[in-house]
Amino acid sequence: MLYDISLKITYGYEVPVSGGRHLVRVLPATLPGRQRLVVGSLSCHPVPAERSESVDFFANPFTAILFRSAHDDLVIRMQARVHVEPLPLTADFSADLSRLPMELAACWSVDPEAPHHFVGPSPLLADVPEIEAYARAVVTPGMTIRQIATAICARIHRDFVYDAEATTVNTTAAEAFELKRGVCQDFTHVMIVALRSLGIPAGYVSGFLRTIPPEGKERLEGADAMHAWVRIWCGTTAGWLELDPTNNIPAGTDHIVVGHGRDYGDVAPVIGVLKSYGGQKTEQAVDVIPVN
Amino acid sequence: MAKKQTAAADRLGIDDDPVFGYRALPGIADEMLDAQGNVRPVWQRLLSTLGRLDETELANRFARADRYLRDAGVFYRVYGGKDSSERSWPLSHIPVLIDENEWATVSQGLIQRAELLEKVVADIYGENRLVREGLLPPALVASNPEFLRPLVGVKPADGHFLQFISFEIGRGPDGNWWVLSDRTEAPSGAGFALENRVATTRAFSNLYAETHVHRLAGFFGAFRDTLQARKLHPDDRIAVLSPGIANETYFEHAYIARYLGFMLLEGEDLTVVGGRVMVRTVAGLKPVGVLWRRLDAAFADPLELNQSSHIGTPGIVEALRAGSVAIVNALGSGIVETRAFLAFMPAICRHLLGEDQKLPSIATWWCGQTSERAQVAANIDRMVIGPAYATRPLFDDNGQSVLGASLAEKDAASIAHWLDAEGGKLVGQEAVTLSTTPAWVRGRLTPRPMSLRVFAARTRDGWQIMPGGFARIGSGDDVAAIAMQAGGTAADVWIVSDRPVERTTLLPAEESFTRNMPGSLPSRAADNLFWLGRYIERAEGALRILRAWHGRFAETADPSLPLLQDVTDYLAALDIDTRQAVPDSLLANISSALFSAGNIRDRFSPDGWLALNDLSQTARKFHATVQSGDDATRAMTVLLRKLAGFAGLVHENMYRFTGWRFLSIGRYIERGLHMTRLLGHMSGPNAPDGAYDMLLEIGDSVMTHRRRYNVNTAALTVTDLLALDPLNPRSVLYQLNEIKTEVELLPNACVNGQMSPFYREAMRLHSGLAVMTPEAMNLGVYNRLERDLEELSNILANTYLG
Repeated sequence: MLYDISLKITYGYEVPVSGGRHLVRVLPATLPGRQRLVVGSLSCHPVPAERSESVDFFANPFTAILFRSAHDDLVIRMQARVHVEPLPLTADFSADLSRLPMELAACWSVDPEAPHHFVGPSPLLADVPEIEAYARAVVTPGMTIRQIATAICARIHRDFVYDAEATTVNTTAAEAFELKRGVCQDFTHVMIVALRSLGIPAGYVSGFLRTIPPEGKERLEGADAMHAWVRIWCGTTAGWLELDPTNNIPAGTDHIVVGHGRDYGDVAPVIGVLKSYGGQKTEQAVDVIPVN
Repeated sequence: MAKKQTAAADRLGIDDDPVFGYRALPGIADEMLDAQGNVRPVWQRLLSTLGRLDETELANRFARADRYLRDAGVFYRVYGGKDSSERSWPLSHIPVLIDENEWATVSQGLIQRAELLEKVVADIYGENRLVREGLLPPALVASNPEFLRPLVGVKPADGHFLQFISFEIGRGPDGNWWVLSDRTEAPSGAGFALENRVATTRAFSNLYAETHVHRLAGFFGAFRDTLQARKLHPDDRIAVLSPGIANETYFEHAYIARYLGFMLLEGEDLTVVGGRVMVRTVAGLKPVGVLWRRLDAAFADPLELNQSSHIGTPGIVEALRAGSVAIVNALGSGIVETRAFLAFMPAICRHLLGEDQKLPSIATWWCGQTSERAQVAANIDRMVIGPAYATRPLFDDNGQSVLGASLAEKDAASIAHWLDAEGGKLVGQEAVTLSTTPAWVRGRLTPRPMSLRVFAARTRDGWQIMPGGFARIGSGDDVAAIAMQAGGTAADVWIVSDRPVERTTLLPAEESFTRNMPGSLPSRAADNLFWLGRYIERAEGALRILRAWHGRFAETADPSLPLLQDVTDYLAALDIDTRQAVPDSLLANISSALFSAGNIRDRFSPDGWLALNDLSQTARKFHATVQSGDDATRAMTVLLRKLAGFAGLVHENMYRFTGWRFLSIGRYIERGLHMTRLLGHMSGPNAPDGAYDMLLEIGDSVMTHRRRYNVNTAALTVTDLLALDPLNPRSVLYQLNEIKTEVELLPNACVNGQMSPFYREAMRLHSGLAVMTPEAMNLGVYNRLERDLEELSNILANTYLG
């Protein structure tokens, strides 16, 4: 599939901010065998005083921007054309849960793709005993990791209500679990904590999702939003699997990857440090349009 | 000789014994006594010195050392529950003496270890061969909270990760030294070692002069010179980067910075521009080339590292990627501090250096591995079990570790289950027995457990080990009592030679005398000084008005009297409630002054700090006890006197440079505002009876008025004296005059012959008021003047303090 994706993030500040430094991670990635960024661009208003491009530990490209003068709003626009390969769902080569410790111990690597980065608690995701109990309830002896992940994904999708008003960007997995409500970030965080509590390496994928309008209706512009789903390590043979707990589906050609991380903090679209005394308002508009 | 010793022993109330009844504990090595119980030669001179002193003399000597520490303002912070408090420095007065030959062996072992640690850190943030080749389990890197992913692949600007590190070492029962932990992040204690040295030599000055004790200054000098040479540009600054006043060892940060002549900065002082780290000073942005950080690495950059950090500098990691700044030690170096690493160091040492470790570390097993876990379970009663990623040694980790022996009542199965479940999060370490060293406890020498912190610095000639260190002495027999937070004390360490030693000092030799002017003042320090000035003056203004109010209230006991009501209304607008004898807002004001002063404590004398603390404590006490009327009048007088005491100390002792000017301008602006507001409110045609007398009293100008005008108080004379008299230090014009004088001397007052906006505004206000007559002064003029003064404060903040 070929997509044209556009994103506009707008920040409005109550009191003008006197400057600021941000990291922006919104451009789709190039991942051999999965997707390819054909062309992409990022622009900001006001124009930053400094701008530089880097690649982080997990191989996600990011842009650092610096503002020196006061401004009362900030607009970040991203335009990209991305080619996404279909992800055929193969037979289940994933390891049994009981074999996982051996599989992990045999993997002598701390490369960005190594599973070891995704087993422990991460900056935003502490262990949550209630989520562990929730996860353990789906496990029966002899299950493979893929079976377990798929079952947890289904269970979260069944038990949780999608509710954009219930949580914020700072809601923890424990809070979202308590509420059984939230958005893709919350679904994803809860599922990651659940998998890790069983010892299964799990990470956060940030990206875009193409949404199909209801039958007979026009696609509304800007109706899409940035999306998040889960990446699961299924052992050395099977490697990584991507599941989307918000929609209870495996990630496919509708899922366009921006970045990989341990939790939201590693791949947040915009991280910023501002000098500000007032509040701020954020708006996000996304369009994912298939190119025929 | 024998007779003399007997006499001394008598005086100390101890029988005829060259060691005053000191006995090593069974099965434990001792620093003063060898395995046979004989006094080690390096200690003999100390013992005979002690033998010559009676208890009073000894007490006097110890008191001299303590007085030095108190006068120098040495403190550390203790955390308990929500609060933290400052404690005076707990010096154990008897130094630890070690023979230089033994020390040379220890030093060789530590230098090897420093080189090894450097290679390990470089590998973790570089090629990662240790993991790939099976010498380091990947989990120890990937699950390690000290592993900072954004630093992977970032090479330090000067090629080295570690520059200044320390080791905690102890002597085992067999008399050999062991490494208990490595400190590669931002080791503390080197400055305290210097202060321990100065204090201890106050107690034992003759002994120190007679004994050939290796000096510490050469070590610091070599490190300072190395950092100087490390700068990429000649005008780059070198700074100590501190987490700030709330840190437990803040005193040391300030001390080291001053001792070595570096700036003392906090994250907020820095900004990154064009990939370079710059310090915000009152003279603009200045480049920083080397940062010796005392800040935990994760907090250094809220953008790429810990996003919740409020003490970092956004963009610092970007500057590191650009290679424009050297940070000592490199961010991320703390990873090799984590306890589990000790388990793998022996094999890594053989692999990387092709030799065994010269100085072994205490035996450690990481429970993330099956056979090691079994080993720990099988020998649980000889183990300490603790967190694998802890960075503190096990006797100083706030009780996170448990003694295996204390689990004895648990059955083997439940212990094995626990170790299995927690696995990689735990390490087992051999329970250590530390050597003892003499401490003076209740009038006699008593053996107390000791560990030694030793410092290593990378110099141009390779690693150097500080000849001495920082001994930590337990408050009881228990090894766990070494932690200072648990009542432990600190002692100086003397490395003793049998030949005279080189006497270096970092004080410049007389012939090379130069008069260095202080460097650019960081904007944050200027901001704190400015606000300290304003808060102090604001408190004084409030105190003077309240004293006058209560004096009159005491006479009439009627707060509805027009004059009293008028002043009550005036104060209410300033959030001061006259129904409280010592109002809350006055306390808040003094607290704000104390807070500002605390942030720049290194810039004035310990006496000034004590005076300000005294003012604050007294005000608090009065707040609880003092009644309105006469009682309050007296209380205000006491507080005013204490405040004047602080102001006097600052005035008499503070070096007249840029910092002083910001403090002064703060005071002048606030005093000008105070008098302008007061005159505007109380000097109009509707002023209540007695208002002019009260104004004179508040303005401390009663006597002057009597002498100068020889008439009863009247609107014009009071206005003249309090608003327009250039010689009255309480008048508004006087403040503007002084501001004008100070402004001329501030950095960038004129650029290319053009006055700065602040300079221009100060001049305009001054000349505007200087040409006024008392008749022309009215409420409108005062209101405008008040706005102008506030605006002047804003312009100053925008020009210098941002």
